[in-house]
Formats: sequence, structure tokens, C-alpha cells
Amino acid sequence: MAEKKPAKFSVQDLSLYYGDFKALNQINMEIPQNEIIAFIGPSGCGKSTFLKTINRMNDLIEGVKVEGKIYMDGTDIYKDIDVIKLRQKVGMVFQQPNPFPMSIYDNVAYGPRIHGIKKKSQLDEIVETSLKQAAIWDEVKDRLKKNALGMSGGQQQRICIARALAVEPEVILMDEPTSALDPISTLKIEDLAVELKEKYTIIIVTHNMQQASRISDRTAFFLTGDVIEYGETEEIFNNPVQKKTEDYITGRFG
Amino acid sequence: MDRNLSRNVKRDVWEKIVEGIFLICALAGVISVIAIIVFVFYKGLHPFFGEDAYSFWDFISGTRWAPSQNVYGVFYMIAGSVLATAGAIIIGVPIGVLTAVFIAEMAPKGAVRVIKPAIELLAGIPSVLYGAFGLGVVVPIIKEISPMVQGQSLLAVIIVLTIMILPTIVSLSESAIRAVPKSYREASLGLGASKIQTIFKAVLPAAKSGILSATVLGVGRAIGETMAVMMIAGNPTQGLPNSIWSMVRPLTTNIAMEMSYASGRQQEMLFATGVILFIFIMIVNITLLKLTNKEGDK
Amino acid sequence: MSRKAKDNLVRGAIYGCAGFTVLILVVIIGFIVIKGLPGISIDFLTRDYEDKTTYISVDAAEQEQTSGQEEGYVSSIKAVIGLNDKGQAVITKLDEDSPLKEAKNTKNEAYPVSKKDIITKAGDLKIEGISSLSDAVSSLNGLSGNVKLKITRPGGGILPMVVTTLYMIGISLLISAPVGIFSAVYLIEYAKPGRLMSTIHFAIQNLAGIPSIIYGLFGSLFFVKVCRLQYSLLAGALTLSIILLPTIITTTEEALKAIPKTYRESSLGLGATKLQTINKVILPNAMPGILVALLLGIGRIVGESAALLLTAGTVAQIPQALFGNSASGATLTIKMYTLMKEENDLTTACAIGIVLLVIIIFINWASKAITKRLLKKGA
Repeated sequence: MAEKKPAKFSVQDLSLYYGDFKALNQINMEIPQNEIIAFIGPSGCGKSTFLKTINRMNDLIEGVKVEGKIYMDGTDIYKDIDVIKLRQKVGMVFQQPNPFPMSIYDNVAYGPRIHGIKKKSQLDEIVETSLKQAAIWDEVKDRLKKNALGMSGGQQQRICIARALAVEPEVILMDEPTSALDPISTLKIEDLAVELKEKYTIIIVTHNMQQASRISDRTAFFLTGDVIEYGETEEIFNNPVQKKTEDYITGRFG
Repeated sequence: MDRNLSRNVKRDVWEKIVEGIFLICALAGVISVIAIIVFVFYKGLHPFFGEDAYSFWDFISGTRWAPSQNVYGVFYMIAGSVLATAGAIIIGVPIGVLTAVFIAEMAPKGAVRVIKPAIELLAGIPSVLYGAFGLGVVVPIIKEISPMVQGQSLLAVIIVLTIMILPTIVSLSESAIRAVPKSYREASLGLGASKIQTIFKAVLPAAKSGILSATVLGVGRAIGETMAVMMIAGNPTQGLPNSIWSMVRPLTTNIAMEMSYASGRQQEMLFATGVILFIFIMIVNITLLKLTNKEGDK
Repeated sequence: MSRKAKDNLVRGAIYGCAGFTVLILVVIIGFIVIKGLPGISIDFLTRDYEDKTTYISVDAAEQEQTSGQEEGYVSSIKAVIGLNDKGQAVITKLDEDSPLKEAKNTKNEAYPVSKKDIITKAGDLKIEGISSLSDAVSSLNGLSGNVKLKITRPGGGILPMVVTTLYMIGISLLISAPVGIFSAVYLIEYAKPGRLMSTIHFAIQNLAGIPSIIYGLFGSLFFVKVCRLQYSLLAGALTLSIILLPTIITTTEEALKAIPKTYRESSLGLGATKLQTINKVILPNAMPGILVALLLGIGRIVGESAALLLTAGTVAQIPQALFGNSASGATLTIKMYTLMKEENDLTTACAIGIVLLVIIIFINWASKAITKRLLKKGA
């Protein structure tokens, strides 16, 4: 990690309020391209909230107010921009696998169709590529017309990842994507994340410290709305600067 | 794909337009309520103002309805509506609540499978069919036992209305009873109360507000019922009912009977009857809203 | 009294009340069915309500001297006739090539005669009070060339009311379904909690409580008079549309509320717009619930009487227009009412009652089946 990769996101003095409650406090962070960034911290520390500010999913919550700036490739995404286009560029995978109650094919084709691709051959290709990228093609290629809800949790989650990839995003946000899965499925998703960073920037929120240390290049430790420490994962886990970080990582609280 | 984050104005405008259409549809309900109130009240209050005004007191306290002689008294109709509704509530609520208790607390599964669809069906039967039943079954029976010559009577109305409000009372009371936490029952049974005692001392008091809402809804349905009642009420042109055998002329049937051919003052007076009915319904609606809101606060 | 005796008494009362509720239903349905069943027949379901008399012109066929024909065969019109109790000629059978099938009415439109039509006049000859069938046959056989016949098509059926009811359902839903569904979409997907939303909900709750006779009053004043629609299909359907709004809105709202929030999130997260999300994810998933809403609406339309009495009229005919002079028509329920109230014909009324019951039972069954499938899918 010697070479300095260009920054995908640059966060400057970002604060977020739910009504009067300050959930994020003056966050500053540079997120480089083609890396996996892990956000760790105890429940309610603001890591998921911060994740959602990156593709403005927090717009959906009543009474949220955001101050500060997030630049994506130099454009402030809290200025007058098109949220829809932002979300096409910044895809999201949620905590619970949440495929739509339709066939696997229709799930993956949902995004491309929404964005105006109608040709069957083109859709077929996108669906296949996305499912292959999500490392689930071999498991589902014979039952693309089956309802996605009939799959196991781990398969559902990878279908959701394929669904996110089908939109051709640049960034993928993962909000505790393995917390509802068994260990084997979890490992598959982790391997997948590592493969995907060749093409995408991945930001992952996780409860699982081993997971963060296994797959991420950088880690940010959140506590009560503050970023306590942010740096290369190896440093954070082996040689934390802050006492609080060390306490959390060694399992003294959280 | 467009990789620039600038706004897609055309799409945003389209989304706004559609949202506007949805909003207009959502306002249809509000507009309807306002229109109904304005038109009915405007037309119904008209005869009491201006040159040739009819005395509102004579209208509200009169006990004779004779359009040909320009006499319009609705007090005996109000009495008829109120008595019929009260009678239906007094009989229907206990029967309905006990039926609900049976369904929620005591019935074996098989019995529930019979009773619940029966009640749903009862709720769906059109009021004209209840009228046919009243005319073909209830009225002849009453004619046999009544001291009066005709079977059309307050009693007939009460019986048919009782049946008509049963489904409302039963289904709402049932959900209220089912909503009572299990722990209440366990606590009561644990203190040595019998099942019946538990139901009446612990469960029903806890379901009180739900049962009250059911009752109020029943009042609304009974007071507004028209077609079933029209055929069995007798609809006399005057006179307060003095026994359950007397004929009555509820407010609703007064409107339905004459509206098709009425004009001028008579028609306006039918709207005035509608205004009185509307006021009753408003009281019922507001009571109900108060009750359900209070429940929501809890 | 001992506690046990008291308990048993109360228990008895509870069983009694539950039994009473079921018994009432049985009695009502039993009464309607027993009273109305004699009136039910194919003719009842398919015929016009009023007798219809028409003058037609027919080219009589060449007289052929054929033997071995059935009794009552009239070779000039190639049809078999019988006599009814008024001594009129009733057509009981028509040959394939009968000239009656090519008959024209006075406006020179095709008016094919069918079985059970009655010939009451042939040319200047009255066919009434004839006592022997052969007399009738021979007088009809005397016809030649182009003849005028007076034909009566017997009524006594409910076809016009069935058609009017179907029209009423179609038009009312065409108006209230989009308005109701869009309105629910607005309330669930767009509206923020606040004064506007509570006003709308307050209005809808109030609408639900207004008795149909008040809707009738309003409709008869506003749609019939102010909008000059007269007693008509459209005036009735518009009034019904308002009546249906609360049912459709609240049922659709429930269906929309039941859709998991994650569907919305993941669709929006994929860069779909709100409208696309509603269109592609929310409405398709709410479809069973919306279907139930529409079924409930149909039930209400079929059962409605007071409001229609004052807006759509009581004439037993198929409306010929949406509004105006010839646009009024009675639905089944309205006809049932007028039969009882004005014509004192409880049997025919109950026969209609059976038809209504069948419809209502079907609707109850269908909406339950849909809900059940929905619950199964959700589990």
C-alpha cells in the first residue's frame, strides 16, 4: 500500500442531526479508490448513519439535517445534484438480504430496466455478468426464473450484490452484509468483496472485528458520532494510536 | 450511462407532476365531504330563512308531516329514529358482545369456522334483503301478536336493526377482546377465578373502549339505515310512537319515501331532514374519532 | 346461587347468543331462498323485464303440401306454434330457413323472431282467443306475400337490471379505483405526517360514516340537478364513487403499509426514482390487497340502494346513454326494492335476492381466498 491511490471521497467537517440529536460529529475522511474501507464501532456509534450519507439514503428519514461536505470525484454530493444518479454510482447492500419477491433474473435486471435497458440480449448479458461477479452464477444459472426468496440467506445476499453490480456502480456500500448469515456464507461474501475491489471501491460496516482485519485495507473506528481513529487496517489493529481504539479492538467494551 | 451528477430536470418535473396528481386524488375525499356538507346544508337550511321562512321551531318540534298543507314537523321522526336505534343497541350490543366472547374465548376451532364466515356474510348482505326478511317474516309475526292491526311497527324496526348491527358489534368486539394481553387472563385465573369470572371481570373491562367504539359504530349504522327500515316501519304521517307496536317514520325513510317526486318547499324540507340526520351522524363520527384516538394514545 | 351455577347460566347465555347469530343468518337466507326459488329460471335470468311488442314484416314462404309435419306446423312461416292461455300463437320451434328469421321491424332493421315470441296479429287478423290449434294454423297459413305480424316478446326477466348493475360496477370502479388507489399511494408514500394528512384521514373517516341516503340527497342535488345529468347511470356511478372512496382508500393503504420498507430502500438504493419504485415494486406487491379493495367495492355497489334510488332511478331498462333522458336504470337491488314496495311482489323480489346472495357469497369467498393466499406467501 505504498502508492497513494486517488481519493474517491473526501469528507469535510460532516455533521448529521436527527432533529436535535447530533449523530455524527465533524467527520473528516479521505476514502481512496479501489480499496475496502471498514467502519467499526459499537452499536449506535454512527457508522451505519455515516454509510448512508454517502449515497444519501438518509434523505428518506424524516428530520435529518446534514452539515459539511462530501466530495465524490470532486463534486459535492450535498450540493444541487441528482440523487438518483448518485445512487446509481454508489450502490448499496443491506444488512438483511432483501431481494424483491420476483425471479432471480428480474431482481438482477431490475436496475438496468429502471435505467432504460429493454433489449433482452443485453439484459441477459448484464444478468449473467453480474451474477458471475457476485460468484453465484453457477448456483443459480439453471433457475433464473425461480423466485429469489426461495434461496438461502447467503445466496440471497449474493443475489442482492449482483443486483447492485448490475447497475454498474463505482462504489458499493455494505451495511453489515454478513450479520444475518452463517459462517460459510460469510466467508464467501468476504472473498467476493476482496475480488470486487479490483473494480470497485467498497465501504463496509461491520460488527465483526476479524472480518474488518481480514478484508479491509483501511479501517475507521467510530464512537458516539466521532471518528476516533482512521488509518491502514494493519496499523489500527496492531498499533492503535488511541487508547479507546485499543480497548475496543481487544474486546474491553462494545 | 450518464456519469455526470447534474440534475435530470425533465424527469424531476415529471415526478412532481405525478405527485401532484396523487395529491389531487387524495384531496377528493376532503372535497367530497365539504361538497356534501355545503350542498345538503345550503338546501336544507334554505326554507328557514328569507321572506316566506318556515319556523325552525315548528319544524324541529312538530309531530305532523303534511306537505300538501305546508306542515313539516320532524320531531316524531327524530323520536322514531332515536327509539329504534336505542332499542337495537340495547338488544344488539349484549348479544353481539357475548357472541364475540364466544368466538374469542370459548369456541372450539370448528365452531369458529362456522360463525366467523356467517358474520362476515351477515355484514355483506344488502339492506334491501334485510327489508325483505323484515317484510316477509318479522312483520307477519308481529301482526299476529300485536294489539294493533298492522305488523309494521317500532318493534319490527328494532328487530331488523338489531340484526343489521350485529356483524359490526361482533367483529369489532372480537378484535378488542383478542387484543387483551394474555397476562390479564393468566393473572385472573391464577387468583382462582373461574373462566367465566375471568372473562367478565378481567377481559371485558380491558376491552371496554373497543366495545364502546363498536357500539358507537352500531349507532351510526342503525340511525342511517334506510331501505330495510322503510318497508317495515309503517311511515305514518303524524304522531309520536307510544308503544313498540306503533308505526314509526325514521328520518331516513322520510327522505327516501318522498325524494323521487318532491319539489320546491317539500324537497327543501327533505334536505332539512337530511341536515338533522347529518348532525346525528356527525355526533356519532366525532365520538368515534375521540374514542379511537384515545385508544391510540394509550 | 353457587358460583358454578352462575357460571353455567352465563355460559348458556353466551352459547345462546352465538347460536342466535348463526340462526338469524340461516333464517334470512332460508327465507329468501324458499320464497324466491320458484321464481328462478333461465327465462328469469335472461329475459327482458317488460313485454315488448313489435310490428314486423315477413315474406311468407311458398306453400308446400307436405305431410307428416308436427302438429301446429305453419308452412307459410316454417314454424311450429302452440296456443297460450289467451289463445295467442306462441312460437315453439323455428325451421332453419324460416322467413321469421329474416323479419324486419318498422324501421327496416333486422328483428329475428325467436322461440317463445307470441304472434298476436297477422295482417288485419287478430290472433287472440282462438280455441283450437288447427284454426290458428290455417289462418296463419292463409298468408302470402309480404305480411305484417304483431309480435310480443314476453318479459318477466331481470336482464336489464343485470346489465345496469354491471354498467354501474364498471363505471363506478373506473372512477373510484384510480382516485382511491392514487390517494392511498399519496397518503402512504408521499404525505408527511402533519395537518394535511390528518385532514385527509379525518375526511375519509367521516365519509365512511355518512349513511347512503345522505349521499343520495347530495347526488340528487349535485349530479342530477346541478350537473344536469338527470336520473342516470353516470349520476348514480359518480355518487357511488364517493361512497366507495373510504373502502378503497383504507384497504389499499393497509396493503401498502404491509409492504416491507426494505423493498423501497433497495429499489431507491439501485437508483430508481420514487415513481419507478411505486410502479415496479410497490404496486405489483400490493396488487392482491388492491384486488380485495375492488371486490369490497363491488359488494358495496351491488348492495347499494338508498343512494341509487335518488340518483339512477327505478326504471327496469338497459340505459341507452351515460346521462340524460334515456340513461336511467334500476340495478338488481333497486328493482328488488320497488318490487316489494310498489308492486307487492315478494316472490320475484326474493328471486332477485337469491341472485344478490350468490354474488355476495362469491365476493366474500373470493376476497377471503385472496387474503389467505397473501398470508401464506408472507409466511
